[in-house]
Amino acid sequence: MNAMELMKTGVKDLLDVHRLRAEFPVLERTVHGKPLIYLDNAATAQRPLAVIEAMDDFYRRYNANVHRGVHQLSVEASEAFEQSRRDVARLLNAPSDREVIFTRGTTEAINLVANSYLRPTIKPGDEILVSHMEHHANIVPWQLLCEQTGATIKVMPINARGELMLDEVEALINERTRLIGIVHVSNALGTVNPVAEVCALAKRFDVPVLVDGAQATPHEKVDVQALGCDFYAFSAHKMYGPTGIGALWGREALLEAMPPWQGGGEMILKVSFEQTQFNELPHKFEAGTPNIAGSIGLGAAVQWLEEKGIERLAAHEQKLLEYATERMEAFDGLRIVGQAANKGPVVSFTIDGVHPNDLGTIIDHHGVAIRTGHHCAMPVMQFFDVPATARVSFAGYNLRSEIDVFMDSLEAACRMLR
Amino acid sequence: MLRHSTGALGGNAMALETLYQQLVLEHNRHPRNYHRLNRPSHSGRGLDALCGDDILVELVVADRVIENAAFSGEACAITKASASLLTDWLKGQRIDNFHLAHRSFKALMADSSLTNCETLGEINQLRAVAAFPARVRNALLPWKAVDQALKTPMD
Ligand SMILES: Cc1ncc(COP(=O)(O)O)c(C=O)c1O
Repeated sequence: MNAMELMKTGVKDLLDVHRLRAEFPVLERTVHGKPLIYLDNAATAQRPLAVIEAMDDFYRRYNANVHRGVHQLSVEASEAFEQSRRDVARLLNAPSDREVIFTRGTTEAINLVANSYLRPTIKPGDEILVSHMEHHANIVPWQLLCEQTGATIKVMPINARGELMLDEVEALINERTRLIGIVHVSNALGTVNPVAEVCALAKRFDVPVLVDGAQATPHEKVDVQALGCDFYAFSAHKMYGPTGIGALWGREALLEAMPPWQGGGEMILKVSFEQTQFNELPHKFEAGTPNIAGSIGLGAAVQWLEEKGIERLAAHEQKLLEYATERMEAFDGLRIVGQAANKGPVVSFTIDGVHPNDLGTIIDHHGVAIRTGHHCAMPVMQFFDVPATARVSFAGYNLRSEIDVFMDSLEAACRMLR
Repeated sequence: MLRHSTGALGGNAMALETLYQQLVLEHNRHPRNYHRLNRPSHSGRGLDALCGDDILVELVVADRVIENAAFSGEACAITKASASLLTDWLKGQRIDNFHLAHRSFKALMADSSLTNCETLGEINQLRAVAAFPARVRNALLPWKAVDQALKTPMD
């Protein structure tokens, strides 16, 4: 069930936002003398104490390398590290934690698939299908691959509301299609894509689907089996976890058949100068000392999300989205970019006569942090014919009253600039 | 309790006022030399995709002297004000002079404690931008475009 549907059914057990806020130390600070109003959650969320303390605890009490020592600290570190892998498998409802590969984040996960899954077999004339609303992370790795191999990228179109034109997708798939890459929730528009439908379609043509879940994991209960996808990538920092860590989930059969991506320690069973025998999944894809503290922080973030209830957070965020949308639609000269029927808590917008950059600087002085620019989705900007947009994005700890301050700050910025 | 703030606290509202002083706003609303030139000898694009700034600077250069300058395109108030002031200043300047001034302006943007640089004239009024590190790139963009233009004469 997605957040919109949940909203309609009504979540009984409401979120205590003020108690939740107390778990985020950064929310106590001021910016330019004003209380911080953090509305840039799609870029990166803030971290709760549970995550900060889990990482701190690792460094203070059992810091050691993983899978390499017989001593107690290494045993404890390895156990915590692998526990996080199980946490991630649970988060995604993955059939096995062997299918969870830790990466630096979404970007690295997609690059892994590009280089280890597609590169060895892709041929000139082969095609990779991506939507018009992808983040650069789900465009550029394929472009690099295409440049080097003579394959091409084809684009699944979107409509004026910023929704995928699902009806057009089938005609784009053919026997040369090697992979479909699709963003689960768009960071630039907020659109929630019909990923399960795309996967069902792709399955008929035996084409694997990679889902960029960077903006989905913080806001909905992801189930890779129900979606029917083949690869799922996400980043911990978008879901209250640390930066520099994330994961790739892939179907075991696909991962087994893929050659390693990077070489080094950890990913081998046996090395001589003649030959190397690779380690089994998932270690085959994790060369070198991993981001141990980060993985532990990610595991803590998963547990924290489960404890708070993703659905409960999402229901609160959807209310904020609804309220913000209503207020913004009534604002003179404001245009919302991305009006999909099913949206994550993201509002991209432009204001007549006010450049997003100036807006961002001015409202920062009201303590309001928003994102301005192209949001690493330049094809989206080109589609909507805007050089850049401003964007607010909500997390579980945001308040309705913060939206009021944000709206006031918009007024102030317009008074100043117009 | 974590209670800290960045930058020059207290003076910040002031700094913001200074940044968006009347001058910048005026140049944003009514930029000078904001049009295309008929027969430019040089042109350069200033593109900052991250910010959404995209301007074109056009010049007429003869005997190493910039006779005319104009800009067009879409940009934020800081970029526009900077382009507006720069194109005004450029008219009648020798190319060598532009390069010297470019160096001075970069220095001015790198250090908010510097005082006015005489050769820059009116452009000095952009000094407040130096206190906003995230916005310095916007003030520098038109200069980069001119630099680019001078390297690539049109046929
Ligand atoms: C939709 C989407 N995909 C991919 C990414 C890239 O994530 P990361 O930078 O953590 O690798 C982001 C975040 O910037 C995103 O929002």
